[in-house]
Parts: sequence; structure tokens; C-alpha cells
Amino acid sequence: MAPAPAPISNAPQAAQTDKHEPSINTDVLRDIGTRSLIDTLNSVNGAKTLVLDPSLAGPLGLVIEVSTLKNHGVDKMFWLEAGPLAASTTNIVYLCRPSIKHVKIIADQIKRHARESQKHLYNLFLVPRKSTVVTRILEEEGVLGDINISTYNLQFIPIADDVVSLENENAFKELWVDGDETAVYSSALALVTLQKLYGPFPRIRLATLLTRSLPEQGTLEPDPSAATAPIDSLIILDRHVDMITPLLTQLTYEGLVDEVIGIQNSHIEIPLSLLTVPNAPNPSNPSAALPSTSASNVTPVSNEKTKKHHLTPATDPLFAELRDLNFSSVGKRLNKVAHRLDEDYKARLQAKTVAQLRDFVGKLGGLQTEHQALRLHTGLSEMLVSHTRTELFNKSLEIQQNLLASYETTKQINAIEELIAQGADMQTIIRLLCLASLTTGGIKTKALESIKREILQAFGYNYLPLLLSLSAHPLSAVLPVPLPPSSDPPSKLPFAAVRKSLRLLIDDSPEAIEEVENDISYVYSGYAPISVRLVQCVAQKGGVISNPAEKAPPADGDTNGKANAEKHLRAHPILGWKGFEDTLAQIPGETVDITPKAGNVNSSPSVTSLRNDQTTTTVVFFLGGCTYTEIAALRWVSRQNRGRKFLIATTSIISGKSLIDSIAGADSRTKETSR
Amino acid sequence: MTEHPTATWAAMPEGNVFYRRQQVYSIPGKLPDLNDYVVAGCRNGGPLAMMRDNTKLVALGRSTPAFAKAQIQVYSLAGEGLLLFSWDQGKIIKFGWTADEKLVVLNEEGVYRLYDLQGDYTQHSLGTEAAEMGIVDARIHPNGLVALTGSLLLLEVKDWEGGKPLTLASPGLTEPPHAWAIIPPDLNISRHVEVLLSVESTILAVDNLEAVDQRLSRGPFTHVSPSPNGKLLALLTFSEQLWVVSTDFQRSLADIDTSSLGGEGSVLQVEWCGNDAIIVTWSNLAVLVGPSGDTLPYMYYGAPFAVSEVDGVRVVDREVCDLIQKVPASSLSVFRPGSTSPSAILFDAWDSFTQRSAKADDNIRSIRPDLAVAVNECIDAAGREWEPYWQRRLLNAAKFGWGFLDLYDPTDFVNMGQALKVMNAVRFYDIGIPLTYSQYQYASPSHLIARLTSRNLHLLALRISSFLSLKPDVVLKHWACAKIARAKPATTGGGKDAELTADEEVCKSIVEKFEQLGNGEVSYADIAKRAWEVGKAGLATKLLDHEPRASDQVPLLLMMQEDRLALLKAVDSGDTDLVYHVLLHLHKRLPLGSFFRLIEDGGTKLAPASKLLQVYAREQNREMLRDFYYSDDRRVESAVLSLDEASQMTDPAAILTSVKAAQKFFSEDKDRGFEAKMMDENARLLAYQQQLEKESDGKITFFGLSINETLRTLLMNGMSKKADKVKSDFKVADKRFWYVKLHALTAMRDFEGLDAFARSKRSPIGYEAFVRHLLEKGHSKEATSYVIRCDSPRRVDLYVECGDWRLAGRECKERGDKAKLESLKRTCPNSLIARELEQMLGSMK
Repeated sequence: MAPAPAPISNAPQAAQTDKHEPSINTDVLRDIGTRSLIDTLNSVNGAKTLVLDPSLAGPLGLVIEVSTLKNHGVDKMFWLEAGPLAASTTNIVYLCRPSIKHVKIIADQIKRHARESQKHLYNLFLVPRKSTVVTRILEEEGVLGDINISTYNLQFIPIADDVVSLENENAFKELWVDGDETAVYSSALALVTLQKLYGPFPRIRLATLLTRSLPEQGTLEPDPSAATAPIDSLIILDRHVDMITPLLTQLTYEGLVDEVIGIQNSHIEIPLSLLTVPNAPNPSNPSAALPSTSASNVTPVSNEKTKKHHLTPATDPLFAELRDLNFSSVGKRLNKVAHRLDEDYKARLQAKTVAQLRDFVGKLGGLQTEHQALRLHTGLSEMLVSHTRTELFNKSLEIQQNLLASYETTKQINAIEELIAQGADMQTIIRLLCLASLTTGGIKTKALESIKREILQAFGYNYLPLLLSLSAHPLSAVLPVPLPPSSDPPSKLPFAAVRKSLRLLIDDSPEAIEEVENDISYVYSGYAPISVRLVQCVAQKGGVISNPAEKAPPADGDTNGKANAEKHLRAHPILGWKGFEDTLAQIPGETVDITPKAGNVNSSPSVTSLRNDQTTTTVVFFLGGCTYTEIAALRWVSRQNRGRKFLIATTSIISGKSLIDSIAGADSRTKETSR
Repeated sequence: MTEHPTATWAAMPEGNVFYRRQQVYSIPGKLPDLNDYVVAGCRNGGPLAMMRDNTKLVALGRSTPAFAKAQIQVYSLAGEGLLLFSWDQGKIIKFGWTADEKLVVLNEEGVYRLYDLQGDYTQHSLGTEAAEMGIVDARIHPNGLVALTGSLLLLEVKDWEGGKPLTLASPGLTEPPHAWAIIPPDLNISRHVEVLLSVESTILAVDNLEAVDQRLSRGPFTHVSPSPNGKLLALLTFSEQLWVVSTDFQRSLADIDTSSLGGEGSVLQVEWCGNDAIIVTWSNLAVLVGPSGDTLPYMYYGAPFAVSEVDGVRVVDREVCDLIQKVPASSLSVFRPGSTSPSAILFDAWDSFTQRSAKADDNIRSIRPDLAVAVNECIDAAGREWEPYWQRRLLNAAKFGWGFLDLYDPTDFVNMGQALKVMNAVRFYDIGIPLTYSQYQYASPSHLIARLTSRNLHLLALRISSFLSLKPDVVLKHWACAKIARAKPATTGGGKDAELTADEEVCKSIVEKFEQLGNGEVSYADIAKRAWEVGKAGLATKLLDHEPRASDQVPLLLMMQEDRLALLKAVDSGDTDLVYHVLLHLHKRLPLGSFFRLIEDGGTKLAPASKLLQVYAREQNREMLRDFYYSDDRRVESAVLSLDEASQMTDPAAILTSVKAAQKFFSEDKDRGFEAKMMDENARLLAYQQQLEKESDGKITFFGLSINETLRTLLMNGMSKKADKVKSDFKVADKRFWYVKLHALTAMRDFEGLDAFARSKRSPIGYEAFVRHLLEKGHSKEATSYVIRCDSPRRVDLYVECGDWRLAGRECKERGDKAKLESLKRTCPNSLIARELEQMLGSMK
């Protein structure tokens, strides 16, 4: 892969090789991000020092490269961190999210410069929009007059060809722990942008407690030129509706990589040895990653021996093939690829004539790329396998499966206690605890107190606030039974009933194995995520009741006639929750089905366009984040239907671990590191 | 009959370039003698502002008004007085016009006001520094100004929002420049303003980064004038040489001696006529200098005043208001004497046609291939003509021509017709906006409507916007504001009731009008704000009820001190920033107690606001948060806050105090017995850890560790007695203790200790855990010794995992499990072991 092409230019090809090409081009979003960043930088004349919010570095790395920044006058870059700032240029540009912490640092630095009588021009760009709080704090600190405040509107960033993300990792915590609904509002703004780009959403469907979501939908003026909207519906799922799914251990390849190694803004940090080959140049120059300090991009710090790698199907077709597989079949697939590669190499031996040899040499570059990718993924798989072999991993998996099946629940609680004793990490324990409470509708007060005590003793009393937040009212992830009389009864998920009506658990019996691989439940080895089932309720009703991929079960006749005629079921038009009202009533939160005013959209384009045999796109927005596994499941659904693709939009990609970490908050983490 | 268009034309002496001097208005006696006044003209046919020039002598005896106070008069180009106001502040340095026809007046203290044509103003300042140094001069462009301070620094103001002025790079002047000018940001490649200062013999180009000396030797200059597109510069030297040069000083275009042009006295103005000619004015004379250095003199009465336009120059004197411009290409093509262009022939053909002459047909035939071009040109020429008579004739000619075309898109024709109707309406002397077609295109119709409304010409503006199918809301809004401002203040006698009914009436009429014309798209908030500003709170509230958008309502509600309502609306909008806005505002204004009460009384409706306040306060104002929780009896939150603070402290005593405080808070809530107990434990642990640290002379850190970590640290340091004490004091579960000890001892490689520990009593975690952990840490040899204590069925596999095949075999043998032994044999790693296993198999027989 010597002439590594820019990932952006390569993306469309990858999208074509990918079996399901989305009908919406998400690259537009990235271009918008890039362009507006450049415009933002150019609005400050001359050379400038860029001071960057570390939490933005990842998302920015997805839209722009360091060299581009340098071309637009960025002289040096620093993290936005407490302490003095040594800038050599007159212009200082701060780019950060409008959090109070950041603003205070900025104010400190400005005041310090004033004391040292350094003259600088300060510009503050807030992502994604201005905030009164920021101005207020700057005013309180007495530096408001010295700084120009403006905005850089970074919204959805495409992280795969069918996934866009706001990359706001704390959205869930802000919403459900702090009660800060900023994320809802900014999501609404971002969705409006999406509408402007791709045309209005003919139908909006919400499964959320936040009925005030999307406040300004009504005031929106649709762009008449986009009347032939390729989007037939927007489904908004509140993460709180399906808390269970992210708590489970993800079992797809990409999901497991996230669980074990951790994927940060599509980048993973892995040992250098996996990436470098003795005689081949680096597979993908990770220039997309912003440097940790101003100059460390060229050589990674030697003692760490890890390197950031951008995991993207655009440059790595093998990854596209692997990412959504259940991990158990990854090994097989890798084996197959290895065999094929070997065969291809052997073609050299058969090359007799010069022409044949030339052909082979022409293919060599591609083979080497593939070889490199194979090496990487084999290495990764090894790391994963060694992890999945550990006793803790298997025990926690077993507890999860038992809880999902409501099998001997009290024993599972004891098993969790056992895991604490064995020294499992905090996130795993909390995940299991939440899962136990959610699936059983609460844990007996006495058992809960004893397990809480164990947690506090094992991990430190500083986790008490975390436990309190988990059981606090809107989140209600850990509840005692019976409830203390003073608290108001929270909305509980009747898990057993939902499991039945949504067919969440597929039997693991031998005759059902075939079915397991043919249902979205394959992603969790037998459990179908509630969230995705809900999407199916709207977009693939047959998939909820029985299995669409099965060979013509004589259950529902009329759809089957079509199924036989065509290879896949033709996607039915979006008709709302029809048929699943009872199920939805069981799930906490209100459901909303909005069809914007008739004046905005001429009748229902979804129906007409389907007749025209046109592929429509359904946007699924996860408020509070979604997991890689859910993405994989949605891709599976989209493969089953002809004529409907999904565009997955989310506030960020989460895993159970990141979820718990964010709820635990930065405080407890700093405590850990400071001591 | 109206005179032929060419009557106003004049050709440059050499060459074929024609200029025309269109008399727009005749205004004898309407304006004072401009020589005695400082004048500022607005582009695009805007009004003139003038102020008595204090440096000039005034002849007494005439009916001169007293000049005790500075007065600024604003006249339309038709000589109608639009505005007259007196200035009561410091000495006026400069005044000029913004893009939206507001008059900017800057005084020596750095204060500037923006007057609209109704005399209402907003005031901003250049800051205290500027006030101290004083302002000596300034240049105003439509979107900002650059001021020269007493210390010879340049301050730039962008937009007219009252933003902080930006100091440009220091030009290093020692005395004020002889002359200077600015090139507005939108005309520069860099998009930042550029200042050109004539210093000594050269020009300094200054922007916000640097001052560049252009290294000229012809200066100093008395006039510096950039062209309307910012590409060229006209410079006049003290020796009255006019020099035209590109703004980068790379190309010199013309060099003319103006002293020979016949002007008397000194040059008054050097202004551009469009982008390719320059007009130089003296008293009684204006000379147009063309691109090739040719000149055309125009006589004026008294001192003329010239205003550059994009397509020409306006010259005003005491008698007339003229527009001098290069004859547009289309007009030239149609009307030039002897022109044989298709459009000229088409026009001629139509003329013949109206006179029923057969020549028409011949003419049309002769230009058949170029007919479309001819039609377009006629349409365009119509737009350039001033007299409706000629406009109509040209459009008729165009219409006649397109009758001979097979396919013709009449959009241009229709648009031109509309534009002409609008332009003729506003050119009418009562309105006094002599807009040309290019200017109309350049500034956009909506801009024109804004200009009309600012003159209070609402009906005309409304008619024009409906004629052009523009949204009427701008006009309606302005009308409503004006109506509110003009509405009679409550009649003195009537008291409250009369006021109420008056408000009711105004509100009703506004709402009626809006619903009738505005399609419900007009925002009431702005109007309500206006009503509030003029002191009509009742009316404001009434109007605000009609506003559908919360975000527009909230700021005004705050201003009106409708705190609760504002907060409710903000929460309803879902915009958290709006909620913050209200919260912070209220926090500042209200006493803390009533602020909290407001939020608490809101109940669930204001819950999001309360949550946001907590988020904010946790970062910024903990003291307030503590008070908030305390006043609301939120024990749990108070406790968590205390714990949170403890996690950020470093002083052990302070941490202990915080933890105890948390414990106290929890204990006050009867549902939080468990938490209180835990915090009690925590406090005990911390105290014990402090003691441990003291005992170890501070060599080992214990403080802040969890119980598990404490145990581990104790064990690792060989203090197992203490560990046992911790275990019993804190009722550590047996299993967990065993795991901790197992891990600690393994980490220390204290295998003897481990063995002793394993034997101390029957392991509550079984022995397989021992084997597994030792294996995991790579101590397979030690692990093997624990296999014997595990459940017998597991032993074989565990032995295999330990890598001890022989023992595994023996185990099989003891249990008589032949099948297992055989499978072992199959999987074993080398032949040596295989042989041994074979032997065992053999011995079993």
C-alpha cells in the first residue's frame, strides 16, 4: 500500500465494493465540516496558534488533516490544558466545546499573559454553538473584552458510509444523570441540517421520554428543490428505552474490539508491531490523528510502543468484511482470506510468460495491502481470543445470558458478588448489576445492599455517588425491591413481557442454530437488541414476528408470495407502529408519530417512491449513543430488505464501559490517577 | 416630446467614449451653499448629510441661523429635508453613511452614534483608550470605520454592532498623514480592511498585521481616493498632478496635470466615476478625467459635491442634482449617431413600423440572425434610460422584435418592466431616491424596501414588496414599530382605562394588519420589544401573546421582569442556552432566596431549569449549589456534593471532614441508612489509614485506598496481622479476602506464605482459583502443587493446563479413566510424553 491514497477519495469505491451501498452520500457532511473549519481559521488573519480541546481532537481528526491546518496558517497546536501557554504568534485561536472547565482555563491563560504583559489577540471558537454560560464566565473572570467569540458548527461526522455521529461522548450522562438537555437541542439542530441536505423527513417517529425533542421541527422551511427526498422516515430512539443492550458484552468483531481495546473516534491504539512490516511502508499514515502535542506526530513516543490506527472500511476492505461478523466466525473468515491470499501468491509460480509475470506484479500491490490487513486483523483477533478465554469474561457472559433468560436470577446476583471477589473490573460489575436490576425489575433490598457494600469496599467508597446516580430517578438503572416508600415510582420495563412480544431471545437449541444466524440476534449470540427490534417494528414488521430470511414459513401468506417471487422481501412502506401498539405500551416512555404538515410534503413520497422501485433511506437516530453491535444489526436488517437502507445517526458510539465511565464522571477517574 | 437621450451625451475629445450628464433633479434654492458645509453623501442615491464647516468664514447679514450648536441636516437628493438634529456631544470629527442608510456621527471622544432617518439613534464608543487619546480623523465605509487617534494609531470598527474596536498595525507616524483613505474589507483579497496613509513622499498601506511602506517618491498627496471596486487608486499631489495607479502600486495607469484644466483655487474633491473615470472638482467646475487621460469639463454653480457610485458619479450643487456616467454599452449601441448595430436597426424598424413605413420589414430582415441580441439590448437599454417615454419606446421595440422570433423567453422583459416601474416610483422627486438600474441590481430590491421603510414610506414599500412578491413582514414590522412609537401617549385625563383602550386599539390594528397581510409569519417579539422600549408595557405583553416562538419571547419577558414566565418559556423551548440565559440573568438580579424559591416553586415544570442550574453551579459556583441544596432540604445531593469536594481535596484532614459531613447528611434522610453506614465505614477507614501511615513513618501510602487496596498494600508489606484486623473491622467477606491475599502473595512470589495461607483453613474459594491464578501469572510449577486439592474430576484437565502430562496421566490411571488417558495421548505435545502415557496405558491393562 505504498501510494496510500487519501481516505476520503477512496471512500466512494469502498462504498461500492460494500454490498449495500447507501443511497445517501454522507461525505457531504464531512466536506461541510472541513470547509467550515477552514473558513473559521481563515477568518483570523495571519499565523495563529491553535489551542484545542482534547475531546475535540478525535472528531476533528475525522474531518481534517494536520497538514491542511498548517496550510491555513496554523503555526503550532496545543492542548487546552491548565497551565501557561507559550504562544509565539499574535493570534491565538481556541477551539473547544462550551464547557465551563475549558473556559476557566482560557480565562486563566489570558490573565497570565496580561500579567506577563504579552500581547495577543484571542479568538474563541465554540463547538457547535455559542453559549451564554461561556460569555458569563468570561465576564466574571474579567476577560470578556479581550476575546472574540465565534462558533464552529461541527455536527454529524460520517464515521462509516452509513453511520454519522455527533461524537459527543457524554450525551447519555448529561441527559439522564445531570438532566442537562443540551444534547437534545444540539441533536435537533443537527437533524435539521440533515434535512436541509437531504430533504425533509416525511415522518418522524420517536420512542422517547423526551417528548419535547425536536422543538423547532414545526418552524422549519423545507427546501423545495429537495422534494424528492430519498429519506422516507426518521426514527428516533432514546437510549433510555433500551438500556439493556449497551450493558451486554458486544460479540461482533468491531464491537468486541471496542470492548477489549477501545475504539476512540474510529481510532484504535494497538501495538506498533501489528502495523509495521519490515519491508513495507506504513499501511495507513495516521495523519488523520491529530498530534498529542505540537510535534509528536512524526515519531510515536518510543517507550509506549503503541500507535493510533484509523479503523475504516475505506482503506481496509477486509475490515468491512469482518466488522459485523459474530466473533465466533471471524476466525473462519480470516482463515479463508489467508488461503485465498496464499493461492494468489502462488499464482507467481504459474507465471510462465513475461506477460503473466507482469500481470502478477501489477497485482502485487493489492496483495500486499491485503496481506497487511490480514496481519493486522489476525493480530487483533489473537488479542481478542486471549481475552475471551479468560474466566472473568466467560463468567460475565454466562451471567448476562442467564439474566436475559431470567434463569435463576438470585443465583446470578450471587455470581456477581463472586466476580467482585475475584477482582473483576468495576465497569463489568456495574454493567452486570444494572442488567440484573433492569431485567428483573429490581433487586431485593438486602441483596442489593450487600452487593453495593462489596463494590464500595472493593473499588473504593468514592463510587458511592455513582451508585446513587444509577438508582436516581430518571435513570433508575439499579433499583431496590421493594422501593422505599418516599420515592416516586419510576417507569419500569416489564422485561419478561417485552422479551416475549419482541422475540428478543432466540433459543440456543441445536435446531435453532440456523435461525440464530438468520436473525439480528446473531450479534449477541442469541439476544436481539430491543432498540433494533423496535426499528424493525417500523421498518421490517415481519422480522419481529418471525424470521424473514427463513425459507417461506407458511405463517403469513401474502408477504410470502412476494418473498418467493423476489429474492428478498420488498421493504414495505413506513406505516408507523401499527401492529405493535401493545408492545410499545409496555415500554416506558411515550411514542410519537409525526407526519409533518401536509403542505410540506406532497402526500407520502415513501409510498410513491417505493412503487418506483427506488431505494429509500430510513434515518435511525440514537439519542444517547449506540453500540457497534446495534449498527451491525441494523446493517443486517437493511440487507434483508430490498429498497430500504438505513442511515444510522447517533450522538456517539458507546459501549457499556464508556457508558459506565461517563456516568461515574471524571471526578472518580481523576481521583484514581492522582493517588 | 422629451428630448432625445443623446442630448445629454458628450464625447471625450479623443476617441469614441461617451459620457452623459443626466440631470436628475432640479433643486434651485433648496440646498445651502455647499462650500460652507461639510457634506457626506450616501451611495446608491442615498441622502446627503451636511454640517456647517466651522473652519470657513460666514458672511453676516444674510439670514444665517445661529451656529451656537453643531447641527446636522439631512437632505434627499431631490433637496427635501429629511432630518435635522443638533449635536450636544463633543466635537464631531466625521460623519458618513452605512450600507443601510444610517448616518454615523463620530466625535473626538470616540463616541459614535448611528442615526436612522427618523432621528432615532444607537450610541457606541471606541473605548476608554480612544477617549483619552482623542480621535483626530476617521474614514467611514458602509460596513465599518477606521479612526485615527490622537496618538496616531488606527482603530477599526467592524459592522455596526458596537463591537470592540480592533487596533491595526502601528504605522509609526509622527504627524498626521497628509491624506488617507481606506479600502473596505469586502474589496480586498485578504478580506480585511486596508488603510492607505500619505506620509511624507510615500504611501503606507496598513492592515491588521503590518504596515507596508510602498516606497513612492511622488508624494505627499493631498487626495487619496480608491475606486469603487477597490482595484485602483487616484492620487493628487501637491503640485496638482493626478496619478492613477493600481492599489498594489504595480501598474501606473494615468498621469495628468490638473492645474491646466481651468479650475480656480484648490481642488475640492477627487472622486471616481464608476471604475474607470475620475472627477476632479473645483469651485464652479467639475472635470471628468477618462481612462486615457482625456478630459470633459462640466460647469457648476458654486461648489459642487460629488458622490462616487458603482456606475457613475453624482454631482450636486445649489441648482441641480446630476448623475454623470459613462454611457452604458446598450444605450450606446441603440442611440449612437450612425450606429448600425442590430439594436439600433431594430429600434429604427419599430419607429418605421409605428409610422407605417415599409422600411420596418427591410430593417428586420437585415438583422434576422442577430435579432435575439438586438431584443436583449433594447431591453437593457430601456433599463438605462431615465425618461419613461424612452423606456416605453425601447421596450416596445424589444416587444416588436421578439414577435419575429420563434422562441423567446420573456422573463427578462417582464423583470425589466417590473424593475422600471419600481425605479420610476422611487425616483419621483417626493421620494428622492434616484436609483440607476445597476445600483438597483447591486443593492437588491429588499434593500430598497428597507430604505423606503426607514423613510416611513410604508405604503409604497408594501406595494412594491407585493408587486415584486417579496415577503411583507419587514415592512409590516417597521410599520408596527413606527405606529407604536407614534401612537398618542395615553390621554392625560382618562387615566389607566384610556391607556388600556388605546393599547387595545393599537394592538388590535397591528394584529389585524399582520394577519391580513403577513401570512402569520411576522414575529411579534420585535414589535413587543419596541413597545416596551417606548414604555408601553401593557401593549408589549399583549403583543407578546401573539408570538409563537419562545426564543423570541424570552429576552423581552426578562426585560419586563416577567421572570417566571420567561423561565417557563425558555424551558419549553428546549434550548438549554436560553434557559441558562434566563437563569444567569435572574441569579444576578434577584436575591438568592427568591431566586431559589422561584425555581423550587416551579415544580416539575421547571425541573430542567433546576437541573441546569445544578450543572452550572457544580463547576462554577459551589457555594450557591450548597445553599440551593440546603434551602431545598436535599440531603442526598448535599452529601454527594460534599463527597465530590472531598475527591478534589488533598489535605487528609479536610477530606475526613467532608466525608463526615456527607455521613451526617445521609443520616438525616431516613431512606439513606445504608449510605450513612457506608460513609461511616469510609470515615473509619480513612482514620485507620492515617494511623497506618503514621506507623509506617509515611513510607507507605494508604490514605484514600479502597479496602481491597488497603489489604493488598498491607499484605505486600508483610503486615498480615493488620490485614486480618482490617478484615474483621470492616467485615470483609471471606471469599474476597482470600482472593486479595492470593493475588497479593502471588504478586510478591511469596509461595511459602501462599502455601501456609492455603493450609490455614479450608479455602472458601476452592483451590482451583489458586491454580488458575498462578497459571495466569506464569507460575505453572507452583500451580501444579495445588491441583491435588481440587475436585478430583477437574484434576486431569488442570494438570494438563499446568503442562504436567505425567501427573495428568497418573491421575487418569488412579481413576481408571482409560478413555481420558487415550485422549491425552492423542493431544500431548511430544513423543516422549506420548511414550510415557503409552506405558501407563499399558500398565492399566
